Amino acid sequence: MEVCGWAPSQVLGTLQYAGGGWERASVRCNPTGKVTVVAGTSPHGQGHSTTFSQIVADDLGVTPDDVEVLAGDTSIATWGLDSYGSRSLSAGGVAIHKAAERVREKARILAAHELEVAEEDLEWTDGKFQVKGAPDRAKTVPELAFSAWAAHNMPEGVDPVLEASAVFDPPNWTYPSGTHICVVEIDPDTGSTRIDRYVAVDDCGTIINPMVVDGQVMGGVAQGIAEALYEEAIYDENGTLLTGNMSTYRVPSAAELPGYTLGKTVTPSSTNPMGVKGIGETGTIAAPPAVMNAVADALRFVGVEFIDKPASAEKIWRVVQQAQGQAPPDRAPEGGGTGAASMTPGVEGGAA
Amino acid sequence: MIPAAFDYEVAESADHAVSLLGEHGEDAKLLAGGHSLLPLMRVRLAAPSVLVDIGRLGDLSYVRDGGDHVAVGALTTMEEAHFSDLLERECPILAHTAGEVGDPQVRHRGTVGGTVAHADPASDIPTVLLALDATLVVRGPDGERTVPASDFWLGIFESALGPQDLLTEIRVPKLGGAGWNYQKFHPRAQDWAIVGVAAVARNGGVSVALTNMGEKPLRAGAVEQALASGSDPAAAAEQVLEGTSAPNDALASSEYREHLAKVLTRRAIEGARSS
Repeated sequence: MEVCGWAPSQVLGTLQYAGGGWERASVRCNPTGKVTVVAGTSPHGQGHSTTFSQIVADDLGVTPDDVEVLAGDTSIATWGLDSYGSRSLSAGGVAIHKAAERVREKARILAAHELEVAEEDLEWTDGKFQVKGAPDRAKTVPELAFSAWAAHNMPEGVDPVLEASAVFDPPNWTYPSGTHICVVEIDPDTGSTRIDRYVAVDDCGTIINPMVVDGQVMGGVAQGIAEALYEEAIYDENGTLLTGNMSTYRVPSAAELPGYTLGKTVTPSSTNPMGVKGIGETGTIAAPPAVMNAVADALRFVGVEFIDKPASAEKIWRVVQQAQGQAPPDRAPEGGGTGAASMTPGVEGGAA
Repeated sequence: MIPAAFDYEVAESADHAVSLLGEHGEDAKLLAGGHSLLPLMRVRLAAPSVLVDIGRLGDLSYVRDGGDHVAVGALTTMEEAHFSDLLERECPILAHTAGEVGDPQVRHRGTVGGTVAHADPASDIPTVLLALDATLVVRGPDGERTVPASDFWLGIFESALGPQDLLTEIRVPKLGGAGWNYQKFHPRAQDWAIVGVAAVARNGGVSVALTNMGEKPLRAGAVEQALASGSDPAAAAEQVLEGTSAPNDALASSEYREHLAKVLTRRAIEGARSS
């Protein structure tokens, strides 16, 4: 479990934060039928455009392709507190949803006016405003966006153009949770580790896009495995970095990484109207201890009590040598525990 | 990451390449696939004044049946060698090991001749050629000559190639069903070998050669002799350090490399004998 969705402003104030925890967004329905969203958060590979487009598409009855998301430029996205602490969706995404709902409420007024019915005689069905009992009489948001831009026939007291902005200051954090289990096999002759199985079950509340969520988990787990087994900044005695390029700083590739078994439970968050929690940090938080615990579980069979990250092949070989030189292992494998690791003496060719 | 300035010449034929080398002197370097030389130039560990590009000499890219041997043109890429039916049939250890070099992008550009001439002791192909007793064909100002693999590599980036020599062909024996094995220990698939061991079991003996255990690929003569006098693979592998000087760097300590050499030598011998 992690405390995510960094907010609320009042609490951050008590924690001596300089800034608050709100997010702001605006949604503009262009006369072309396209929708422009301005987000205060900044994407760097998490798929914000995909996820935010889906939220707005659902709210306004357009397709995700009709929605453009702008972010990361303070001359466009004037207000925002940015992407960190898994808050882009639970703070920023909810602000977008609120803004889109405001757009839709204005669109309802316009639709009632144009269809010459009372607002309460309209229902939002199949992505458009229909007259109850007369589904042929309907208006879509793009149609209303055009007439609000032309402004030839606005209702009394309603301004032209169809757009809205909203700020969301979450009343609480979100609390995504999960369990990751890793099975490793270590070649006792060379010390190299192979990950045989990696299972991750996460609960990020309401899922907007399952592929984005799975992608975030897989990418994060890959980074976590890298931290546990591969990447290391090594300095010599003069403080010179010896691992300053991609051939010595070992970022693993797909060839070194296992397939992942991913599962989900969905427990909507009670702290925001969409029930979302955030998924971006689970991999880097859960994978290093899962992998290191599996390595440690395997190594305890040969008497190793501790190994530091990253558990490179040479480091494993050294701790096994030390453990066997000082005190031969006398502990038989114990029952219970996670059973998450195995060590097969004499395994051949694991790393070759 | 930007190389020092250099001039660039395109060779139209093997003889033209040799004459261009003569024209530009010792600071000229041949450019084939460029996957070893160009990275060194980008970090300025190499700064040739002239590059003579032999990459367009299509007649140096082939795998041919040479009777008692298979002839591999120097500009054959790793990928072509890896997927050569002729090598797969007659000298599968070379086809296999070509597929262990780098990653697919590297193997599509890097050449067999390039890795041989570059003489990096961490390269896989020279070790295999040494275990095979391969022959290298060299074109120089005085014509063509052949050099046995055992005489070809002299040190780090040093070979029997003179400043005006062009490697044109690699000749490997037909193995005729002999056992073989190449053990490459590398943390990531695309990495250079921390240590590599080639073993070829033929003519009643086993030849063993080592990658990255010294300043050039090394034959493990003591291991071969121990096997010839009846030692089992594990006991023979204990002899592998004779004549080695394993590097000690950020990728691995020499102590660990020495341990790996014993493990991989045993596995390579067992693999060669059971294949």
